[in-house]
Amino acid sequence: MKKILSLFILVLTVALVGCGGEKKADAPKADTPKVLNLYSWADNFDPEVLAAFEKENNCKINYDVFANNEELLAKIQAGGAQYDIIQPSDYMVATMIKLNLLEELNKANIPNLANIMADLKAPIYDKEGKYSSVYTWGVTGIVYNKKYVKEEPTSWNDLWKPEYKGRVILLNDNREVIGMALKKNSFSNNSTNPEEIAKAVADLKTLTPNVLAFDTDTIKQKFIANEAWIGTMWSGDASFTHQDNPDIGFVIPKEGTTIWADTFAIPKGAKNKELAEKFINYIYEPKVSVKNYEYIGYNDPNTKAAELHSESFKNDPMLKSAVDGIASGEWLIDIGETLPIYDRYWTELKTGK
Amino acid sequence: MQRTWRSRVLIAYSVAILAFLYLPLMILALYSFNESRLNAVWTGFTFDWYLSLFKNRRVLEALTNSLIIAVASTIVSTILGTMAALALNRYQYKFKPAINSLLYLPILIPEIVMGLSLLVLFSQAQFPLGKPTLILAHITFCLSFVIITVSARLEGMRQDLEQAAEDLYATPWQTFRYVTLPLAMPGIVAGALIAFTLSIDDFIISFFVAGPNSTTLPLYIYAMVKRGISPEINALSTLMIFATIILVIVAQILQPQHTRKH
Repeated sequence: MKKILSLFILVLTVALVGCGGEKKADAPKADTPKVLNLYSWADNFDPEVLAAFEKENNCKINYDVFANNEELLAKIQAGGAQYDIIQPSDYMVATMIKLNLLEELNKANIPNLANIMADLKAPIYDKEGKYSSVYTWGVTGIVYNKKYVKEEPTSWNDLWKPEYKGRVILLNDNREVIGMALKKNSFSNNSTNPEEIAKAVADLKTLTPNVLAFDTDTIKQKFIANEAWIGTMWSGDASFTHQDNPDIGFVIPKEGTTIWADTFAIPKGAKNKELAEKFINYIYEPKVSVKNYEYIGYNDPNTKAAELHSESFKNDPMLKSAVDGIASGEWLIDIGETLPIYDRYWTELKTGK
Repeated sequence: MQRTWRSRVLIAYSVAILAFLYLPLMILALYSFNESRLNAVWTGFTFDWYLSLFKNRRVLEALTNSLIIAVASTIVSTILGTMAALALNRYQYKFKPAINSLLYLPILIPEIVMGLSLLVLFSQAQFPLGKPTLILAHITFCLSFVIITVSARLEGMRQDLEQAAEDLYATPWQTFRYVTLPLAMPGIVAGALIAFTLSIDDFIISFFVAGPNSTTLPLYIYAMVKRGISPEINALSTLMIFATIILVIVAQILQPQHTRKH
C-alpha cells in the first residue's frame, strides 16, 4: 500500500505542477453556518469533547479520517479538499513545511500552547513550533508478556535471545525497525552512513529466526492472545494492550529509542483558520484534555492537566515509561536520499534474503 | 452402493464449499457479541456493541454517507446506462464496435488508475472534493456495468412484441413504457443491484476523490485499522449481512411472478 501511495504522490505531483493552486478566491458568506473540517486519524478524539465544542461555538465538525500520512499528503497536495485542521505525524510536518503546505499558527489565538511539555514545544521537525503543535505522542519500546519472558528486558539485545524463536513481533515500518537496530548498535536512528546502516541490517538478519511477524495493525491482538511474547510497540498501544492482558509489560531499552508525535496543523488556504485555532486551544484546556486523553489513552502533553488526571491514568506504567523515554529518545527525521537504501534493505529483510 | 458413496462425497464437498464461503462471515458475526474491544480473544457474551453502535455518530455518519452516495449513483447510472444500452442495441451507426469497447473500458482499467485520473480531473477543474465528486466517480464506474447487464437482457429479447405493439397503433412512448421497459426490467434491476453493491463496496476510487464530510464506510473502517477495529464494526457488518439476506429472500419471493410473465 505504501509503495502504491508513494507512486501515486509522485504521479500526482508531476500532474499538478502546472496547476499552481491559486484558488479559493470566493470569501465565505457571512450567513453560512460555521463548519470545521477536521481531517484526522480514526477514533482520535473523545466524541463528547467534539460535541461540547460544537455546542459552545455553534458550529459543526466534519470529522473525516485517513489511515496514513502519505494518504493525508496526497489529499492536501491535490488541493481540492478544503480541510481546516489536519493531523500529520512528526516527519510529515517537516515534509509539508518543505512543500509549503502549512499555514503558520497564530499563537495569539492559542494561548494554551503554553501548557505543552517543554520537551515537545519545539521538536526537531518544526524547530520553532511555528506550524504545528503536538497532539498525541509516544515512544517505541519493548513490549513483553511476563508469562513467557521471565526476566525484564533492558536492552534491544534481549529480542535476539534464542529462546524467543518465532515469538518476536516487529513493527511493520522500515524506519522503525532499522532505526531500532541502529540504536542497538549505538548509532543514530536517522543515520545516513551506509556502513552503519549495513551493520544494523546485518544484525537484523540474525534476528529473523526469532521474528513471528512484521506487524503494526494487529500487533495488539497478537499480544492479547498470547501469540507473541516480546516485540517492539508504541507506548500508547502498549497501554491499550495492558488493559486487556495484565501480563503485558513495557520497557524503554537503555540504548534509547524513537519518539513520535501526531500534531495539529492548518493547511494552506484553510477557510476557517480562526475556528481551527479556537479548536486547538480548546483541546489544550486542562479540563478538556483530561477528558479527551483519558478517552483516547495516549500520553497527555498538557502540563497543566497532569495533576487533574485520574489516579489510574497517572499511574499507567506504559504512559509513565514513555515520559521517561523522552530523554533518551530521538525523533525520526527526513533522511532524503538515504531513504532508498533503507527501502532496499527493508525489502531484503522482509523477503528473507 | 456406489451411488450413496458418491453422493456422500458430493454432500461433503458442498458443505465444505459453503463453509468456505460463510465461515468468515459467521466468525465476524460471532465476534460482534464479544466483550473484548479487539477481535483477539473471546472474553464473554454481550449486546453492548450493538447499543454503542447506534450512539457512535462517526460510524452512523459514514453509513449515511455510503447510503446517500450509493442510492444517488445507482439511480443516475441505472437511468443513463439503460438509455445507453437501448441506443446501442437498437441503432446501427459507424464505429459501433469501437464505441462498444470504449464503454467497457472502465471495467478493464485498474481502479487505481481510474481513481487517480478522476482526482487529477477534479483538481484541475478546481472542483472541491466531497460528496458530489464521490457520486460522480461512482456513476462513472457503475455505468459500464449497468450497460453490460441491460444490453445482455436486450440481446436476448425478440423484437416481435414491440413490432406487434406498433402494429396496434401504440405510440413509440407507449411501446417503450408498456412493452420494452417491462421486458427489460429484470436486466435493469440486476444492473441497479450491481451498481448499488459496487458503490457501497468501493474503496480505491473513493479513497482518491473523497473530501470533507464524505468519509464512506469502507474508508472509515480502513482508517480504524491503526487503533484496532472496534467490534461496533462487526455489529454493523452483521446487521448489513442480515439486511442483505432479507433482501435476497424478498427478491427470491418476487422473482417467480416476474419470470412467469414471459
